Amino acid sequence: MNLIGAGLACSVGLTGAASAAGLALPRRSRATGVGVLTAALGAAGVVVGVAALSGRTFSACLPDVLPLAGVYLGVDALSGLFITVAGAVVLAVAVYGIGYHGHGHDPGRAASALFPLFALAMLLVPAAASVSTFLVCWELMAVTSLLLVLTEHRRREQVREAGLWYAVMTQLGFVLILFALVWLAAAAHGETFAAIRAAAGHLSPAVRGTVFVLALVGFGSKAGIVPLHAWLPRAHPEAPSPVSALMSAVMVNLGVYGLIRVGMGLLGGGPRWWWLLAMAAGAVSAVYGILQASVTSDLKRLLAYSTTENMGLIVLGVGAAGLFGSAGKPQLAGIALAAALLHVVTHSAFKALLFAGAGSVLRATGTRDLDALGGLRQAMPVTTAAFAVGALGAAALPGGAGFVSEWLLLQSLIHGLAVPGIVVSVVLPIAVAAVALSAGLAVATFVKALGTGFLARPRSDGAARAAESPATMLAAMLMLAGAATVLAVAPGLAGSWLARAVAGVTPVGPAVADAVRTKLTVLGSTMSPLVVVAGTVGVTVVLAGLLRLVVGVRRRAVPLWDCGAGPPSARMQYTATSFAEPLQRVFDDVLAPESDVDVTPVVESAYLVERVSYHRVVPDRIEHRLYAPVLIAVRWCGERARALANGSVHRYLGYAFSSLVILLVALAAVK
Amino acid sequence: MSGAASVQVLDFACGVFLLAGVGALWRRALSAVIGLLAVQGAALAVVAAALGADEHHPELYAVAAGVGVLRAGVLPGLARRALAASGEDRESEPLVNVASSLLVAAALVLLAYAVAQPLARLEGSQGSRALPVGLASVLIGLFMLVARRKALSQVAGFLLLDNGITAVAFLAAAGVPLLVEIGVSFDLLLVVLVLRVLTVRMQSAFGTTDLDDLRELHD
Repeated sequence: MNLIGAGLACSVGLTGAASAAGLALPRRSRATGVGVLTAALGAAGVVVGVAALSGRTFSACLPDVLPLAGVYLGVDALSGLFITVAGAVVLAVAVYGIGYHGHGHDPGRAASALFPLFALAMLLVPAAASVSTFLVCWELMAVTSLLLVLTEHRRREQVREAGLWYAVMTQLGFVLILFALVWLAAAAHGETFAAIRAAAGHLSPAVRGTVFVLALVGFGSKAGIVPLHAWLPRAHPEAPSPVSALMSAVMVNLGVYGLIRVGMGLLGGGPRWWWLLAMAAGAVSAVYGILQASVTSDLKRLLAYSTTENMGLIVLGVGAAGLFGSAGKPQLAGIALAAALLHVVTHSAFKALLFAGAGSVLRATGTRDLDALGGLRQAMPVTTAAFAVGALGAAALPGGAGFVSEWLLLQSLIHGLAVPGIVVSVVLPIAVAAVALSAGLAVATFVKALGTGFLARPRSDGAARAAESPATMLAAMLMLAGAATVLAVAPGLAGSWLARAVAGVTPVGPAVADAVRTKLTVLGSTMSPLVVVAGTVGVTVVLAGLLRLVVGVRRRAVPLWDCGAGPPSARMQYTATSFAEPLQRVFDDVLAPESDVDVTPVVESAYLVERVSYHRVVPDRIEHRLYAPVLIAVRWCGERARALANGSVHRYLGYAFSSLVILLVALAAVK
Repeated sequence: MSGAASVQVLDFACGVFLLAGVGALWRRALSAVIGLLAVQGAALAVVAAALGADEHHPELYAVAAGVGVLRAGVLPGLARRALAASGEDRESEPLVNVASSLLVAAALVLLAYAVAQPLARLEGSQGSRALPVGLASVLIGLFMLVARRKALSQVAGFLLLDNGITAVAFLAAAGVPLLVEIGVSFDLLLVVLVLRVLTVRMQSAFGTTDLDDLRELHD
């Protein structure tokens, strides 16, 4: 058993210990015990992942663990990348949880025991090497995350609705994945990934195509790809913040992992239309996700929509990689896949950081509504700084973590125009435009989140009373901020790891890996983000110093001219809603916001207004158009079905009897 | 008892078992139906005993005695007392009339034989040839539950169903472990007791024991 096997065994043991601690420890020490052990579990995951990324592989078969099928484990560089990300985020979030759960938000015994199990499931999904093992781990992840989303169901009514949405969407996705993988295994006459990989080339195109589409939809629902994103803006805000951080930064990644593993690994790539489909879904998700994020004023909902955007970009990259691969351009495919994988890593870093920041804000102020926040900079300086680093990353500006990967993605798309074909020459410019548009909207979104949420003056009592979070939460945020910064200024460090992960998936092998490594190194040297950041910071400092020299140190306090309308109050500042208003106006046709003005006149005279109230909601239009008819149809069927149950015992017995007889007749006829 | 004789006894008992089941559908007088149930219970006990003789399992004799006491004595006795308490002796207007019921019963027996062919062909024991009889009794019992109105007919249908299940267990596997058999019998006793209480309560509440008067069971 090598390092990877030892690490996996160790993480299973640590999960058992952490769950037992969650069940057994008294309330006072529970958060600390679970947090420390789960952090160790995350560290074990990092060790496993890094070992796999540096070239070791591992495979094992444990025939006694699952009856009939047995457990097959296999870790290669691609799994290693996702395990590393999962382990690192689990490590940071577990430390964060010590402070979050220890001071006020006690989740109870059951949720404390489930949390490490959820973390372990996310480490094991990429390590599965057979269909049944993969499905078991996937379902474990889905069920534990669902139970964790429901943690606070006693406190808020909306949690139950969110849980219902999440349960339905995740189980529908699971059914599709189940169909896809089981069908693939049946067609390939073997359920281990190795057997499927060997047989996949000889399957009929119809089977391969159907399996891919089913997998795309199933994994897309986990990754929050439009139009299957409906659970994301519900479940992520309602889950406790450490859980939303894990879900949004790690769990959605595994949807991408599944897509890459099945589409490129097991099926070994496919015809052009597969990947054009994936690219279309990714581009729509990217633009629609960030558009919704830019007009929402719920902080965690905003982050959830931003997850949809980033997953869209990643799927777009994966689709581009597949497209270039099918067109016989392995080098371009490698670059696009590397960009997508790098974005997986950076997105995890900054999204975990942002959710941790949002959790701190929620804990300190009791609200997620950006319109009611503001003025947190003085009270929570570390949280504000950490959130700013995350927001910079999410906005994909130079110096932020998201910049490098999005830039790489754009470059690969632009170079992809060399691929012949009319469809490609239409699709790629549109994809470039989608990436650019989503990047621009992301800047507006995160300026809004940071500016109206943290700067200026507090707009509610909760925000005014805010205090800085406990040290463990700050330490976790600083860890994540450090990771995001390293990824932002020195992405070349990850070059060889990414190259190995890419080489493991695309069939072309080491030559492409070399190209990817060169490309990343060249990117590091020609436009070196480090230089950009150092330059920007240096120029800012010098300018500030010069200004002080020129203007002078002395400050003069003078009364502000207030146009005679009384002193400026916090009600006069920009809120999240008013900041997003121009954007909402521009995208009016897409968003279709519903506004409502109620004018109540004074009783004595219709000309004098007593009160004017203004409501505005931006409903999720895709959800309205797509889900509402389905829900209405289901409800209609349910109402009709009530006629079947009229209360007569004989009728109920008759149903049972006739179904038994029909079954037996069918059995006798088939035989 | 020699092997050939025990096989003949087994076949004869299975025939009586099936006939008693069909007869329960034929008769309208509830006292006659209960009498036929007792006959079927006794036939089941004989089946168990014959299997014990055929396969040299002495403990099957004990099981046979228990089955006989319960199904030919105790349960019909309880049903008779309920019948006396309710005072209605006729299934006056069944949902499916008697002639059609007998036709359906014939079809169900055919179906049972058609479905159980692969099981009957298994060269396990003498009993497995007669296995469709048990399945037929299960189906007839279910049909009786659907087609008869009175609460006591339901009890009879349920007992037919359970006799059929027990017969299948005996014929296919020479009986289930003694502990399971005792547990099942105890459950059966409780079910019949509960149904008896229900019959009496319905009689006092509605003046009849027609199950279609219970219509509250819907959402």
